[in-house]
Formats: sequence, structure tokens, C-alpha cells
Amino acid sequence: MSPTRSLFRFELAAARRGRAVPLVALGFALAAMTITLVGLAAGGVVAVQGFARTSVSLLQLVVWAVPLVALLTGAVAGSECHDLEFVVALPLPRRSVVLARWLAWMVILGGALLLGLGGAGILIALLSGGADGWRYLRLIGVTGLVLAASLAIGLAVGVAARTRLRALGVAMAVWLVLVVGVDLVAIGALAMLPPHRAGWGLTLLLMADPIDSARALGLGLFHADVVAGPTGAALRRVLSGAGAWVLAAAMVAWTVVPLALAGWRFGRSDL
Amino acid sequence: MIRTTELFKCFGGRLALAPLTLEVASGEVVALVGPNGAGKSTTLRTLAGIIRPSGGRAAIGGHDVVGDPVGARRQIGYLSQRSGVPLATVVGDLATLVADIRGLPAREACEAVERVGVFGRWGSPLGSLSGGERQRVMLALATLGPVTTLLLDEPNISLDSEGADEVRRVIRQASEGGTAVLFASHHLPEVARLAHRVLVMDAGRVVAQGSVEHLAATTGIPWDQHAVDSPIERIYRALVSRARSTAPASHLSVIRGDAA
Repeated sequence: MSPTRSLFRFELAAARRGRAVPLVALGFALAAMTITLVGLAAGGVVAVQGFARTSVSLLQLVVWAVPLVALLTGAVAGSECHDLEFVVALPLPRRSVVLARWLAWMVILGGALLLGLGGAGILIALLSGGADGWRYLRLIGVTGLVLAASLAIGLAVGVAARTRLRALGVAMAVWLVLVVGVDLVAIGALAMLPPHRAGWGLTLLLMADPIDSARALGLGLFHADVVAGPTGAALRRVLSGAGAWVLAAAMVAWTVVPLALAGWRFGRSDL
Repeated sequence: MIRTTELFKCFGGRLALAPLTLEVASGEVVALVGPNGAGKSTTLRTLAGIIRPSGGRAAIGGHDVVGDPVGARRQIGYLSQRSGVPLATVVGDLATLVADIRGLPAREACEAVERVGVFGRWGSPLGSLSGGERQRVMLALATLGPVTTLLLDEPNISLDSEGADEVRRVIRQASEGGTAVLFASHHLPEVARLAHRVLVMDAGRVVAQGSVEHLAATTGIPWDQHAVDSPIERIYRALVSRARSTAPASHLSVIRGDAA
């Protein structure tokens, strides 16, 4: 058995025993179900809307809550790599410790998210039909990409920060920058750029932030960009042609590069 | 077999281990003794690949610890001063991991844990074990499989006399089987009983080395291994105190690489 596979089994067993996992699964399932059922409550309607409307609401959950949970989990997991003196002295490459931790938490958190989004999806399909269901499946795919990237960034932060408290602090700061900071920069940049350059500018800004990439992909999936005025127009240009694939590739890069960096850094660290 | 040449380690600007040239042959048991901060753990951790050397070379069974770290670690069983894993880790999970990595069936790990007297704790977290049980489990896992070198950092810590007997048995058995053993200990009577050779360390450097008889002779203290009041503590104190009084000169010779 390869060291990474052995470590994956070890990490998975440890992660499954954590008390936080059922809480995350339950919390996400409850939030997803609530959004599904009362998405339009403010308008006096408490009913299940179709996949398209509900998904746009669920997208907010995906781009706010998933990165937060994944960044914090990754940060703690990364900082705890430094507590594995006995494991590191075994004949295995150190980077496999980081990779196995990422894989184990992907399975655990991915399972929890799948439970939440899957439950909500089944509810929508049962109560309002399966139209746009394939788009919903894509939303789940985008959620997986956000999870993968956020977890990898969190791990890189944790490995570099070394202590749990410092790792959590830095992870929170990274979350704020990715969720709010880059948005503010994007709004400012789009207001300043001439219209014919807005598409490129927006593409680059989106590529620089995996969470904004996910938001753009999610909005594009359900054509919610049409209500976003000039920004929506720029977004449509970005997502036309191969644009959506470029953003998805950028999210994959946001997973691979931080993971590689975390592995490299951990490989050179003194424990 | 362990071989180091001018191996040294600095943390920031502080020299934690002065250039050390050392050889531990197959079947030889070498003890590292010295006060806290002497460099004993730094030596073991550097050899185990836990920390990277700042310079010099070290090889385990011919595998360079920096150039071929996995090959070097394949040769070693390492026991950390702390447990070396989070205390929430379950005994069975850790034992299965070690067996997997060493290419052994999990049953062998289970038997090794039971052999050191820890029964029915396969599904328990390490944190729920007593200090002595935990140390025995970690020792059993460190020595699992075909290792040719044992690096043991305070193997007697937290152990009662039965546990200490177990450590002695493991070290003797390993040595008889041709395994090179390098261990750090504050328990000097145990060191005198087990070690073929002792390295006395202070402030990151080796200040004296040799068999206990040789060290006793250099201090002029008569040595009788079987005496009720063993003079080993007095010998050790005399060596450290002498080294401290001549520290500047010794330090220079260590930096030049002459001392070890």
C-alpha cells in the first residue's frame, strides 16, 4: 500500500472521530433545507421554488459558509502536521502527510456538503419537479471546487503558521480578503476600467480569487447575471466561450498550487 | 549503523548541536547523557529526519538523512520524548498505519502492542492510556518491523520498574540482533547497565565519550558497576563540571571538529 493511501486511511479514521464533522453536516443540511423552503418567505410565500431560484440562494451559502469552514478546518489540520513527530519519522515522504490530510478532509467535508445539498436537491425535485436539475448538479460541482481550493489554502496557511491559534487567525483574515476584499477591488476596478477592457479585467480578478470564481460560475449557471446590470453584462462576456472553463481551471490551480506549497514547506520544516 | 560527519544544527543564531562526528556500529548501544539543552534530543531528532541539519552529513545504514530521507527512515525506529502524535489518536489506527508503512500485517502490530503488556486498548485514544502504557505502546510501534537502527529519546520516561525492564529487554534484544542503538537518558544507572559507550554532552557539544570504565578512569573516580551506591552520577557531574570550566577552549576545538 502506498504511504499516501495508508496515511489517508489513518487521517480519515481520525477525522471521522472528530465531533465537528456531524455538526458541520447537520448545520449545512439544515441551512440548505431552510433556504430551500423559506427562500421567498419575505415575499409572503413559504414554498419550495424550482432549482434555479433556490440554487441562487444556496449559492450564497456555498460562497460564504463553505470557504469559511474549509479554511478553518484546513488551517487547524495544517498546523497539526507539526504534532506528528512519530509519523514523520516513518519511511514516507513528508508531502504525503499534507496530501493525505487534504484528501481525508475533502472526503469528510465533501460528504457533509453532499448530504446538505443532496437533501435539498431531493426536496426540490420532489416538490417542484426536476427542471434545471442538471444545473443544480453543476452547482454541487462548483461547491466541490470551492471546498477543494479553500481546504488547500487553509492547509498551506496552517503549515506556515505552525500554531493552531495563529493559523485560525490568518485563515479568518484570508477568508475576509477572499470573500469581501477582492469584491471591493473588483467593483472599484470595473468602475474605473473602460467598458471594452472590463471583460479582461473581470476575468483576471475572478481568477485571482477562487471564491469569486465560484460565485461567477454559479450565477452564470442559472443566468442570474442578467439581473446584475453592467457587472452582469461583463460577467456574461467572461463566461461566454471558454470563459467558464478558464475559471474552473483557475480554481483547480488554487487547489494544486497551495497544496504543493504546503507540501514543500512542511518537507523543509523543523518539527 | 549510524555515521555522522561534522553534523551540526543551529536554531536561529544559537548553536544547538556543535559539529558532531560519530559512528555507532551494528549491535552497539550508545547512550547520550547530559543536562537539559545539552543537544541529546537535537542529535536524535536530526538523525530521525524530524529536524534538518544546518550542516555536515549523517547517514543511517548508508542512506543520507537529507539526500535519501525515506531510505534512511526505513532503517530506523524512533521513539520521541513526547508521544509524537496527537493524544486523540487511537492506538489501533496508529498501529495499523505503522504496520502498513512497514509492509507488515496489522496483526503483527497488535501482537507487538500486547507483548508490551497493553491489552484491550486497541480502540482507545492514546490520551486515555497512562503515561507508562503510552510509552510502552510507542516503544512497541517504534521497534516494529525490520529496523536496523533504534533512536530512543528518554525511553524510560514515565515508566515503572516493570516498564523499565521492558525497555532494557527491547534494547538488549535489538543489540543482540545487530541493531545499532542510540538513546538519550537522564537515568544514569540504566545507562551504565546498558550502554557499550557513553557520550556526555553539554551546551550542544560532546565533552567526553567512551565506556563507563574509561570515563571513570578519566575522572579518577573508582568504578564498580555492582556497587550499591553507584558512582556514575559523580562521574557524570565531574565530567560536565570539568567541561564547563574549560568551555572556551573545548568549544573552539569542537567548532574545528576535533572533539568528537
